Amino acid sequence: MNLAELQSLEERYLMRTYRRAPVEFVRGEGALLWDAEGVEYLDFLTGISVCSVGHCNPAVVEAVREQAGRLMHTSNLFYTEPMVRLAERLAESSLGGRVFFANSGTEANECAIKIARKHAHRRGVERPEIVSFERDFHGRTYGALAATPALAANPDLGPMLPGFSSVPFDDPDALRAAVGENTAAVLIEPIQGEAGVNPLSEETLLAARQVCDESGALLILDEIQTGVGRTGSLWAYEQTPVRPDVLTSAKALGGGMPIGACITTPAAGEVLEPGDHGSTFAAGPLASVAALAVLDIVDEPALLRRVRELGAQLREDLLALDGVGEVRGRGLMLGVGLAGEIDAAALGADLLERGLVVNVPGPGTLRLLPPLTVDPDQLRRAVTTIEAALLSYAAA
Amino acid sequence: MSPKRPSEPRALTGGTAERLAAIVEAAEQAAAKVIDDAEEQARRRLAEANVRADRIVAERLRALADELDPPSTPRQREPHLRPVTAEPGTEPAPGPRSGAAGARLLATQMAVSGSSRAEIAARLRSSFDIDDTSEILDAILGPED
Repeated sequence: MNLAELQSLEERYLMRTYRRAPVEFVRGEGALLWDAEGVEYLDFLTGISVCSVGHCNPAVVEAVREQAGRLMHTSNLFYTEPMVRLAERLAESSLGGRVFFANSGTEANECAIKIARKHAHRRGVERPEIVSFERDFHGRTYGALAATPALAANPDLGPMLPGFSSVPFDDPDALRAAVGENTAAVLIEPIQGEAGVNPLSEETLLAARQVCDESGALLILDEIQTGVGRTGSLWAYEQTPVRPDVLTSAKALGGGMPIGACITTPAAGEVLEPGDHGSTFAAGPLASVAALAVLDIVDEPALLRRVRELGAQLREDLLALDGVGEVRGRGLMLGVGLAGEIDAAALGADLLERGLVVNVPGPGTLRLLPPLTVDPDQLRRAVTTIEAALLSYAAA
Repeated sequence: MSPKRPSEPRALTGGTAERLAAIVEAAEQAAAKVIDDAEEQARRRLAEANVRADRIVAERLRALADELDPPSTPRQREPHLRPVTAEPGTEPAPGPRSGAAGARLLATQMAVSGSSRAEIAARLRSSFDIDDTSEILDAILGPED
């Protein structure tokens, strides 16, 4: 079946929720992808930061293959060892409390929202409110959607869940003013991903922690994109002066298998009780062994150091290019701010033609999310490709 | 009755030789299994020891982080709690998340995540305007050699 036939079937049978690039990928290995014509691509998107240990990482593949031959699913009505071991590993590597597993990032945030609301009710708050930043992205299910101001503004999807508000991004004073006795949680991304890789300042993070402490609200960090080594530490908050009460993870956690996790401090881990929440598929044996294999690879000081070093080198090389105005982010989560009136969408399409897969999260920005296992030659190849595309754009 | 003399050694027949070879092979396999088991046991114990060591390190670092950044006041379940209002004219006491505490927490968390002394020092200088980072770094990482 060729691409035109796929597109024809898509047009007939799939809901029109995506604008797909006209490429059919059929194979992946490390930082490389191949399309149906055998053309090789360098993947600096990794399925939106999912395949962080590279496509078809042998350790992940073997773990899944072995587990698939033994047991694939039992539901959460029973014990399975990979799930429990994964919970221990996630809790011990972060906030030391408890874990609720989900199948995706948005579901992990749903759990965090439930924790925050119930925690607030226990404090006597009748109408709990969750505060986020404008342009935050927390997901597309209705709870997470309500905390995603840009998407929640879509009137066709209303009415939205009540009890959510937002303040201008990275404005500590606005945040202080918005948080009060009814605030259940401040739910924020330490580095906004979908909005174009915008890191929160430490001043704002400290303000968020402070107002949460003062009001009794929970600080929830959405580390769905920043977590699992992406920024050069296992969790992005480890490179900041704050610790959250609740942390959500997904994307890279499963190395390509769908899994999400809501991780808490010991205190916040006591909030939910039997019947409050659940999931049929979450942390099934397949996803759990994949996540354990991912953590074996990523939770290594040498790899995390390499992510920081390669990220610093990539940033420096990109900043040296004509047409690049700024580079935002940390580790191997970088947003390339294009200078002047360069059309990022056109540039992104050109880069795909040239064999480099990137993402354009908004006007004027390219988002780079290469595998954490990328090698320096591949980074240089990406920079050279972007340079050629920028030169071509300038000449056009 | 004279004692029975030991029988004279006999030449090994083909069948006996095969049996002996099988016995030797079985013995060798048993010995190899003992060695494999011992190695496996050693590996397991080493892995367990590593896990225990990692856990102890993580617990100590977390305890240190808790000391620097104590968890929020335990949540009370009584309804309608209100924040305590400071008396007019009294300055709020510096909280645990003041700049100094934030710097120490940042340094601790970066150390937990495997950042080098130089990396942590650079962040402390850029984020907290701390010129002399040695006191914080020595407290967390130990004195420099």
